[in-house]
Amino acid sequence: MKPLNPLVLTVSVPPHKHYGSSVRGLMTAILMAMVPAAAMAVNTFGVDALRVMALSAGVAVLTEAACNRLMDRSQSVGDLHALTVGLAFAFLLPASAPWWLVAFGSAASIGVGKMMFGPLGGSPFCAPLVGWAICRVSWPGQMDLDASMLTMNLTYPLGQLKAFGWTSVQIQDTKSLLFGRQLGGLGAVQVAGVLIGGLYLVIKHHVSSIIPVGFLAGVATAAWLLHLINPVVYPPAMFHLLTGSVMFGAFFLATDGPSSPNRQIPMLLFGLLAGVMTIVIRVWGAYPDGVPFAILLANLFTPVLERIRPRPFGAR
Amino acid sequence: MTMQATPSLDLAELTLRRHCPLVTCGQSVLRGERLATASAPGAGDIHTPIAGVVTHVDAYRIRVEARGHDEVEPVDLAALSGKALYDKLLELGVDLPPADAVDTLIVNGVDAEQGVLTRASLLASTPEPLEHGLKTIHALYKPRLTTLAVLKGASIPDYDIQLTEIDHNYPAGLDPLVALAVTGIEAPDHTEVIGLETVYHLGRVMRTGLPVLETPVTVDGKLAIVPVGMPVSRVLGEAGIVPAEGDRIVLGGFLRGEAAALPTQGVDRSAVAVTLVRNPAPVAEDVACVGCGECVRRCPARLDPSMITSYAEFGLYDKAAQAHVEVCFECGLCGFFCLAHRPMLQYIRLAKSELARARSREEVAL
Ligand code: SF4
Ligand code: SF4
Repeated sequence: MKPLNPLVLTVSVPPHKHYGSSVRGLMTAILMAMVPAAAMAVNTFGVDALRVMALSAGVAVLTEAACNRLMDRSQSVGDLHALTVGLAFAFLLPASAPWWLVAFGSAASIGVGKMMFGPLGGSPFCAPLVGWAICRVSWPGQMDLDASMLTMNLTYPLGQLKAFGWTSVQIQDTKSLLFGRQLGGLGAVQVAGVLIGGLYLVIKHHVSSIIPVGFLAGVATAAWLLHLINPVVYPPAMFHLLTGSVMFGAFFLATDGPSSPNRQIPMLLFGLLAGVMTIVIRVWGAYPDGVPFAILLANLFTPVLERIRPRPFGAR
Repeated sequence: MTMQATPSLDLAELTLRRHCPLVTCGQSVLRGERLATASAPGAGDIHTPIAGVVTHVDAYRIRVEARGHDEVEPVDLAALSGKALYDKLLELGVDLPPADAVDTLIVNGVDAEQGVLTRASLLASTPEPLEHGLKTIHALYKPRLTTLAVLKGASIPDYDIQLTEIDHNYPAGLDPLVALAVTGIEAPDHTEVIGLETVYHLGRVMRTGLPVLETPVTVDGKLAIVPVGMPVSRVLGEAGIVPAEGDRIVLGGFLRGEAAALPTQGVDRSAVAVTLVRNPAPVAEDVACVGCGECVRRCPARLDPSMITSYAEFGLYDKAAQAHVEVCFECGLCGFFCLAHRPMLQYIRLAKSELARARSREEVAL
């Protein structure tokens, strides 16, 4: 048939305009939000922090590229998710972490925490925490923040709390804690920087505020109750909020899309659960900082929480 | 600002939805002659807006090339009422839902989507056919309540009908939400919502005795009354818009509209707008859901579009039905906000049409 009109149109399904968000856009925003904490980490821990972050981010991207190759999938590193996971994993490590630990953990975060479950969106866990958990269980010595950082003149408040009790914690004042004068995950303890980045993400609507609010409320309420019961043994809520990975977990880890619920009420419960679990692990568990395991546990509850859903429009 | 003068066409292309063609290639037809009959309840038949020769018939379109000016005889509708009138109106191309047991009849005068102003302009500028249509529709359905839904704060001529004011924010103007605004009930029984353009069609048919041959659309921010079947590129051309290679021509709004396959594709009665989108890159990509949850939080029907579309993606239509896909009123917001740019509405429409097909197969088997 002779074409009636040689003009060729593009045919596509609606919508014909988009809000403008994208995976790459979101990851760019998250990476930007991590810059203040990363800068503070370099300031505190020096070139060691830079080494760990660069190595972890690089290995994560390479692992994802290799997995895509081996699994015969289209290349996805361009969406910057792997870079984000790599950097987030580095944020949880001590600045003194040996290169092989960084490389292994970062590769495990991507390989086991993401690629094993298919393309982005398939994993039921927050990817960097998977790598962290594997390393923490396999090499407790190297992951131990106190022992690994003996050369620094900073102390690890959560370690002291766990081992010797509240009265012997050396750093207690809010200002030192806020500005990263504590040992811990190299980026995660840069609390002021993490907070600036986290607020940026929430205010710009890149991530919903519900999970961070729930998480911080969970931590604060549980800690406050314990402190009320026995102020000599249990530190005040502010101490818990400003130590370890609480801030980083609230804004950057618990908010991971696929591993957290999607609706408002389940999101709030998810946040609260992770927050309360953090304090439970810190007080009664084996690990000084409860955040990573608390979030992984909450991830397991996501499918259950997702069952809390409203009645669809007009359905009877 | 109405572009009233009907341009003369040398070619008309009628889009078939669920219609069976009644003509064959080479057949001569009069202006207003029936070309296809509807096979779905409540859908009107299809007629040619020009006299000419049928040059192409397939399952999706009938093309007519202009020749001569002869026209069919007008039908005398004054003598008809009730079921006889209803059947005749369907035959004349008015899309009217079945007329029994309607308690609340809502005429939707709100253009739901941004950039579309067909209904608002009709209300403001052409009261005559609308009054006619409203009167007929009231007589036909005998509802306890007939109400006209209009945008909050709109100033319109007096139509001697109860008005219901509708919020400006999308998707408040969509039929199910308008029905909720009027009745206070979600998906109320015995309630019908009819679009204002259908009332306009009805009014014109009642006055002229001819089938629906013209339809109102928004082009370039103005109301235009164009022949049904007028090629979309001509519609744009009349407004001084020239499509280029690779552009998209959208029938309807940006969120829900359908892209024309060919520049010759004709305007159909349900197209409320004809818009050119210059960007050749489609929004949607063939990607998996990344689980961000944005669509779930945005869905005004309180559904989980990510699950529904993932079911549809893998052909699990019964699972989509369990997830209440039928409740979806196709607002298109899930696709507009999808972080991964998935073709959400397309998957939803696919699931719905597959479920409808399965249902009709079951009915045949019984
Ligand atoms: S189109 Fe999407 S957002 Fe709109 S009602 Fe349907 S599922 Fe919900
Ligand atoms: S918005 Fe898109 S990517 Fe996000 S959950 Fe919905 S379908 Fe998945």
